[in-house]
Amino acid sequence: MSEYLSTTFDKFELRVRTGYYYTEDGLWISMEEGRVRVGVSDYVQRTGGDVAFVELLKPGSTVERQGEFGTLETAKTTVSLLSPMSGTVEEANGRLVEKPELVNSDPYGEGWLVTLAPRKLENELKTLMSADGYFELMLKKLETEHEKLEVR
Amino acid sequence: MKTTMQKKVIVIPCSGIGKALGSVSREATYEVVESLRKGVTDTTCLALITSGDEETLQLVKTNKCITVDGCPLQCAEKNLKLAGGELAASFRVVDTLKENRKLKPKSVTFLDRDGQELASLLAKRVAEKVDELLK
Amino acid sequence: MVDLPEKKVGIISCSGEACVEGTISRVATRLVLEKLRPEETVTICLPLFLAGGKEERAFAKCYPTITVDGCDKLCAKTATERYSGKPASSIVITDLTRNPGCSRSGRRKLDSGALGLAEKAAERIAKEVDGVLDHWR
Repeated sequence: MSEYLSTTFDKFELRVRTGYYYTEDGLWISMEEGRVRVGVSDYVQRTGGDVAFVELLKPGSTVERQGEFGTLETAKTTVSLLSPMSGTVEEANGRLVEKPELVNSDPYGEGWLVTLAPRKLENELKTLMSADGYFELMLKKLETEHEKLEVR
Repeated sequence: MKTTMQKKVIVIPCSGIGKALGSVSREATYEVVESLRKGVTDTTCLALITSGDEETLQLVKTNKCITVDGCPLQCAEKNLKLAGGELAASFRVVDTLKENRKLKPKSVTFLDRDGQELASLLAKRVAEKVDELLK
Repeated sequence: MVDLPEKKVGIISCSGEACVEGTISRVATRLVLEKLRPEETVTICLPLFLAGGKEERAFAKCYPTITVDGCDKLCAKTATERYSGKPASSIVITDLTRNPGCSRSGRRKLDSGALGLAEKAAERIAKEVDGVLDHWR
C-alpha cells in the first residue's frame, strides 16, 4: 500500500497519509502503543497558510472529543484545533514553539501536535474516517473551496 | 583625483508573488531603501542574482547584503548564498508577524493597512541592522 | 499516483524590485490571476522556482507557461527555459512602454499611468492565455 493518497490541484500536490484516521475538519490520529498521535492534514496546512504560532494544551490536560486542544495561528487566520478523541494530553510538540513551520513542511511527520492517552478509543475511533474517506472529502472540498488555497 | 565608490548595504527582498508576506517583504525593502536609509542602501532583483548577471553579482559580492524573506522557505537567503553573495543579516516577515499578531495582511497585489504596518515595523528593524553594518 | 490538473497556464513574473517595470509585471500578473483569468491560470513564484521549489518546477514542466519580464534581462524567461522548458509565450514590459531602459522612479507605488500600463499588460497576458489554451485544446 502506498504511503500516501495524493491529488494535484493547480500546482499543489495534496496528500493524505494512509493508515491514519481523520476528522472532517482534517485532524488526523495515528495509533501508537497505548496512545494516539494527533496532527493536521496537508489540506489544512495548505488552506490555513504559513503557521506563525502554535498553542497547545499542556501535558496532563484533559480534553473531550471535539473540544479545543489548541490553535494554529497563521499569516491569514486562526485555526481552532478540535480533538479527534477524548483523553489526556501526554506530550505537546515542543519543537513547534521555535519552528511552527514544521506544521506546513511536514504535517504528517515532524509537524505532529500532541499525543493523547485516549479514554474511549474503541467507540470514538468509529466516528473517524479512513484515509480513503477523508481523501474523497478533500476532493469535494477542493471543488468548492479552492480559493482558500495559497499560493494563487 | 580618484574617488572610491561608497559602500552600501544591499537589501534584497524575496518578493514572492503568491503570498501577502512576499508583498510585505518588498514594501519593507522599499521603505528602507527609499526612505529610512536612503543613500546608504540599495536593492536589486533576486532573479538577476540567480541568473548570474555580472553587474549584480559584483554588487552583492562587494557589499554587505541583508535578505528580507516573506516566509520560512527563505528563497532570498538561499539564492543569495548559492550565488556567493555576502550575506550579513537575514529577516523573515513571518517573525515580525509573530511579534504583532493582530496584523494579518489579506491582500497580495496591493497591500492593505495591516500589510503596510507590518512592512513599516519590519523596515525599522532592517534599518537598525543597516546602521550596525555601516559602523 | 498524482493526478494532473485540468488545463491551466502558469504565469511566471519577474516581479523585479529594481525598477518600475518589475512592479508593473507583478501587478499585471496578479490582475490576470485575480480578475481576468482566475480559473485558467496559476502563478509560479519566481524566487521559489529559482530556489528549487518542486511544485513550481514540476508544474512548469508539465503545463504551458507565459513569462512576464520587466526588462530585456529576461530573468523569468531564462529561468523557465533553464529549469522547465521553453515558455509558450513571453511578454516584456519595456516592449510595451517603448522606453529604452527601465526606470527606478515610481517602482514602489504605481502612479495612474503605470497602473494603466499594468492593466494593459494584464489584458495582453490574458489574450496570450486564451491563445495558449486554444492551441492546447
